[in-house]
Amino acid sequence: MSALICWPVARATFRTRLRSPGPWLVGFLFTVAGAVRGSRHGAGIETFSGPGTIWFIVLTFALGAAILSDEIESGHAQLVLLRPITRAAWYGGRLAGGCLAMGLFCVIAWLATFSAAVARGDGFDPMRFASLVLALVWGCAWLSVLTCLGAFLPRWTNAGALGLIILAWILLFGIVATLRPAWAGVVETVTRFLGPQDPMIFAEPTKPGRDLGPALYDLVWIFVPWVVGVAILNRRELARRRA
Amino acid sequence: MDDPPALELRSVSKRYRLRDGGEFAAVDSLSLEVRRGEIVALLGPNGAGKTTAMQLALGLLHADAGEARLFGGDPELLAIRRRIGYGPDAPLFPKELTGLEVLTLHGELLGFHHGDAKDRAIRFATEVGLAEPSRRRIATYSRGQQQRLGVALALLGDPDLLLLDEPTAGLDPAGVAAMREMLVNLRARGAAVLLNSHLLSEVERVCDRVLFLKGGRLLRTHEMRATGLRAEIRLANASELLARVPQMFASGLDGNRLRLEIPGEDAVPPLVRKLVEAGAEIVEVRLIGADLEQLYLEIVEGRT
Repeated sequence: MSALICWPVARATFRTRLRSPGPWLVGFLFTVAGAVRGSRHGAGIETFSGPGTIWFIVLTFALGAAILSDEIESGHAQLVLLRPITRAAWYGGRLAGGCLAMGLFCVIAWLATFSAAVARGDGFDPMRFASLVLALVWGCAWLSVLTCLGAFLPRWTNAGALGLIILAWILLFGIVATLRPAWAGVVETVTRFLGPQDPMIFAEPTKPGRDLGPALYDLVWIFVPWVVGVAILNRRELARRRA
Repeated sequence: MDDPPALELRSVSKRYRLRDGGEFAAVDSLSLEVRRGEIVALLGPNGAGKTTAMQLALGLLHADAGEARLFGGDPELLAIRRRIGYGPDAPLFPKELTGLEVLTLHGELLGFHHGDAKDRAIRFATEVGLAEPSRRRIATYSRGQQQRLGVALALLGDPDLLLLDEPTAGLDPAGVAAMREMLVNLRARGAAVLLNSHLLSEVERVCDRVLFLKGGRLLRTHEMRATGLRAEIRLANASELLARVPQMFASGLDGNRLRLEIPGEDAVPPLVRKLVEAGAEIVEVRLIGADLEQLYLEIVEGRT
């Protein structure tokens, strides 16, 4: 068994996430949005851009909400952690299970978009695969942030808190852009470092360069919240035992 | 050198802070041990510290003072966790999964390959009477079925040490009987069991030792074998036997009932055999334990 990811826990998490109606509803809308936009000129990014972006983020939130707390608060995590596995491996398993579920929905939506594009006369473009991989990196990074928040926030409030932070930042951005247009550039620069960045620019056919920077930066947003989340979980669990 | 006890608490104390700033001693300088091949019960009123004592032993809670050891080692060592089984009071499971999936997950966590884990899951689900329900989602389970699943989880790894917190709560009579049989089988293969139960009749029948707790302190240890069991045998031909073999039936015969002290359940088959050889027509055999309820009231409640 891996020290970082407990795969039996990942499989169980994958199953539990897929047996909730919420992710399926959002996944359906996500798939439909991709299929409607599937175009011979889209190079695959139409699944994860435009309205697809919104559904993709909502899907990520649906899969990441209460990803740790539903196990911790039910008491099942306590039983699992009495088995010979570490808290870090359990945490990794929960995150990996969520990522696997997200991967499944992404592949379904991506295939729907691809089928629609082929029906509209597209040939095979290898960049379509790149868009899928890039989207997975992006989604996993958001899921990692949600899991990290779940290490100390109860129930589904990890998703609620992250949603509020994003909305607050967008609002701040709008206010600054309106009231202090000179500062908008500064806020935009800061935004490029806050949270996972949209990596689709790499596959964007209308853009001149192949910028892999955001995707590589998103890898940081997978692993840093992961490490921080495990540290928080450990501290909280030890504090609970001592309390 | 002697094997270390399967479970050992050495002067452990655990205090909880209250909202008003005060403190509450859930467990106070408690020492106990459970050896292999022994079933020990914790008895006491609600809030006596029984569950806390179990959680301290498992490392689910850290003691403010004292030490908990399992097989002579730290309860948090992964190698030791592989040897223990724990059935909590009112276990809760992911309701989207089936019982079989939860059991398979725990089998894999114990180190079994997926196929073996699944085989074990089916075997233990059947043993606790969940063969059919285990294929359904846990959301559809009754309280008793969840309790049975918790017991199956505790037994899954053939543990050398089993801790069960109120295992019979919510079980029907067949479930209680099956539980008793499982505990006796575990003891027979040398496992140690620490049991927390309010069902005194069951404790009487299976336990070797009973620890009475109150206010987090150990009040008294009672060896069940020291007092033994009483067999009450109803005979169809009592008066005829008394006339024919008075030396055998003169003492202990009350009407058509013969009451005899026996050291344990193992003594029942030879006793029945001996009686049948003597010509007894046995209608019913009942085992009655040392009166644990009386003892409980005396020790814990201070009633005489």
